[in-house]
Amino acid sequence: MTREDVSLGELERDALTEIVNIGVSRAAANLRKMVGDQVSLSVPSIEVVTQRRAARLISEREISQLVAIRQDFTGAFSGRALLIFPETNSLELVRAVTGDELTAEEVLEMEHEALAETGNVILNSCLATMANMLRRSLTMTIPEVLRGDGALMFDIRDDMPSDGLVLFLYIDFAVRRRDIRGYIAVLMDLPALTILRELLTEFIDRVVGDDG
Amino acid sequence: MFAAAGASGIWDWDIVRDRLYVDEAFAELYGFDPAAIRAGLPVKSFFSAIHPDDRPRIRIAVAGILGGAELFSKEFRLRTADGSIIWVHGRGQCQLDSNDVPTRFTGLLVDVTERKRTEERLRIAQTAGGVGTFEYIDGFATASVSEQFCRLLGLHPANVLPVRTINSVVLGDDEAIIPDPEQAVSSAIEPLLGEFRIRRRDDDAERWIARRGEIVSDGGSGYRFVGVIYDVTAAKDAEQALRHLNETLEERVLQEIAVRQQTEDALRQAQKMEAVGQLTGGIAHDFNNLLTIITGNIDTVLRRITATDPRIRRSLENALKGAERAAALTQRLLAFSRQQPLAPKQINIARLIAGMSDLLNRTISEAITIEILSDPDLWRAEVDPHQLENAILNLAVNARDAMANGGRLTIHAANICFDSDNPPPAGIATGFYILVSVADTGMGMSAETLERVFEPFFTTKEVGKGTGLGLSMVYGFIKQTGGHVDIRSTLDAGTTISLYLPAALVAAGEEPAQLDDHVALGSGSETILVVEDDDDVRAYTVEMLRELGYRVVEAHDPTSALRLLERQDEPVQLMLTDVVMPIMSGRDLADSARQLQPGLRVLFTSGYPRDAIMQSGRLEDGVELLSKPFTYIMLSERVRSLIDRCPHS
Repeated sequence: MTREDVSLGELERDALTEIVNIGVSRAAANLRKMVGDQVSLSVPSIEVVTQRRAARLISEREISQLVAIRQDFTGAFSGRALLIFPETNSLELVRAVTGDELTAEEVLEMEHEALAETGNVILNSCLATMANMLRRSLTMTIPEVLRGDGALMFDIRDDMPSDGLVLFLYIDFAVRRRDIRGYIAVLMDLPALTILRELLTEFIDRVVGDDG
Repeated sequence: MFAAAGASGIWDWDIVRDRLYVDEAFAELYGFDPAAIRAGLPVKSFFSAIHPDDRPRIRIAVAGILGGAELFSKEFRLRTADGSIIWVHGRGQCQLDSNDVPTRFTGLLVDVTERKRTEERLRIAQTAGGVGTFEYIDGFATASVSEQFCRLLGLHPANVLPVRTINSVVLGDDEAIIPDPEQAVSSAIEPLLGEFRIRRRDDDAERWIARRGEIVSDGGSGYRFVGVIYDVTAAKDAEQALRHLNETLEERVLQEIAVRQQTEDALRQAQKMEAVGQLTGGIAHDFNNLLTIITGNIDTVLRRITATDPRIRRSLENALKGAERAAALTQRLLAFSRQQPLAPKQINIARLIAGMSDLLNRTISEAITIEILSDPDLWRAEVDPHQLENAILNLAVNARDAMANGGRLTIHAANICFDSDNPPPAGIATGFYILVSVADTGMGMSAETLERVFEPFFTTKEVGKGTGLGLSMVYGFIKQTGGHVDIRSTLDAGTTISLYLPAALVAAGEEPAQLDDHVALGSGSETILVVEDDDDVRAYTVEMLRELGYRVVEAHDPTSALRLLERQDEPVQLMLTDVVMPIMSGRDLADSARQLQPGLRVLFTSGYPRDAIMQSGRLEDGVELLSKPFTYIMLSERVRSLIDRCPHS
């Protein structure tokens, strides 16, 4: 259920896509340095949806259990960022960032730490770049690793109204020669989305100028 | 020239020096002067030919690249030098220095106008036709799908979906929209032909989806499954409805046959009753003639007998009683076949049932309480009073027999009006009726008995106790009167029989006074013409009339009767004629006689008048009938009252 007052216009959506693109590119560059391999990214698709719908979007695509690295951010606009991928990808990602030098046991031991660190690098570079492009700054909390289904990722509980809105950035990222793919989701509440929209308008004015 | 050929151009944006370098093809697309491009252009030239509607979005995308984004991949419109609009796809990348700072933005511009049009046609075809496409490459975990494909399955629109996600909407375990490659390839004929029952993800609706497609081999070892899906729920539903209709066809035919069978049974029953009625009527005619002779002659002997032996008189009286009982039986037979001549009169039923009180008390044992009720202001009914009395008595006797251990018998007369709010029972029209109900608190009847209760000769009484004609007679009489009989019964709780009689709302004179039981004599100045083809009956009739003091002339057929009338010196006061005679009926005779002697009074006698003088079971107005067999007293009364009646009536 997209609400009229926070729905993004076409240009705002384009602008946000580009900003996310930049952020994700930066994140991919960092990931590339970590795994020493080519990391490819899809063009992000952006939607403002309810938390329930976001959970459904993920579970429609991923039937298996999920792993997520979660970080909250505060600043000009505040919210929560999630890096989500199928649980089956998790060890592969750990193996990739640790350079295939570890034994299976070591990989298991390292898994939690490696995931938290990888998530931190990707989410941090992504969000920091976005804030930078919008000429604002953000502070991020320590990453947290979650395992579960879409409902858990998006904090959907039956006893709570779950019509909180989510800026859902759906990016496929894949590491060449590795079976790794994932999503980035950014959750923002209504006031945060309103501020984001204002910042996007400023950005558009700057870039398009009198030509628009 | 290049644009028309679907050309492609190259650009190289030097971010550090802030200059744009393009090749000739790019310049051609943008309408730049080929000579001016060598030295480089101002970077804002990159946007100059872009359609104004697309320009802001491309500026944002370029801002993204300059800000550090990796990939530029956009489709947008260009306004070419000749003013036409073409679609191009720009794809570019940034080169970064060692500090990840962008230095150059290079890319390729391709004319995709044709492809855009094709895509548009495909999109419209899919949307308009409700067809979704998919393409699956052997070995991958995902399939490329169209928006319409996602919509058909109720999935969120996407270009790529995991195969497991697609197949998860199918209900039933073995089916898969994107099949297992080995299975699909091994079935040689139309491998992608299939129908699936699915549950749509967005609204949980159950739908039928059809799949068609081809397995394409590009020459290598791999395959591609290229196909479409579309919704066939409506067709499936129709097919199912048709199958259901087919499956229940036999049952519906049986039902129809049963209904028809019932109708046929009812018709057969009606035909049977009609046949029995005709037969009975025929027998009754002859039988009544015989009875007339028997009773008449015994009557005569009894009146004239001088024998002193009392046994002779007693024997004769017994013989007369037997003949009277036989006459009553023929009367009942005629009643149930609805062929008894009715003489309906406007009567006050309240008075009639009150008058039956004595009779009922005599007939019914003291263990049974009798209650007779009438609504005040009861309408008058047009009904044959003697027959109604008979009917009520019949019902009362049945009620008595149902209450061997005592109980309560209630006879109730009430006004009732049937209209659209209070619809009448089947078989009678709306209007005003008088309801006479006879209710007992006896043993009641079973449903099986209730069904057959009006059938003639159907009886639950012991052999010899009942004729089985009582209720049939009541039924026949009430139906003949234009009314209706309703029977309700509960085992061990009692029976209520309701007679609905048409009300006569237009008053017509007073009821005739009851006949007295004395002999009304005639005189020699009164001439009566007797016409009767049965010699014995005629002889007896003539003898009785002479005994009563009348002057009598007789004829054995209508022709002689007319001749007698022609040369009659003195006027004939009354013609007494049989109804059923060969050559000419009594009815026709009466018409001819009245031409010779207008105002001639006619009294018909008959044991079986049938249609000759009746219309729909009732005597025609002004027709007087004396039923055979008749007694001396009955004859004297009718003849006297007719002769005494005012000539005009």
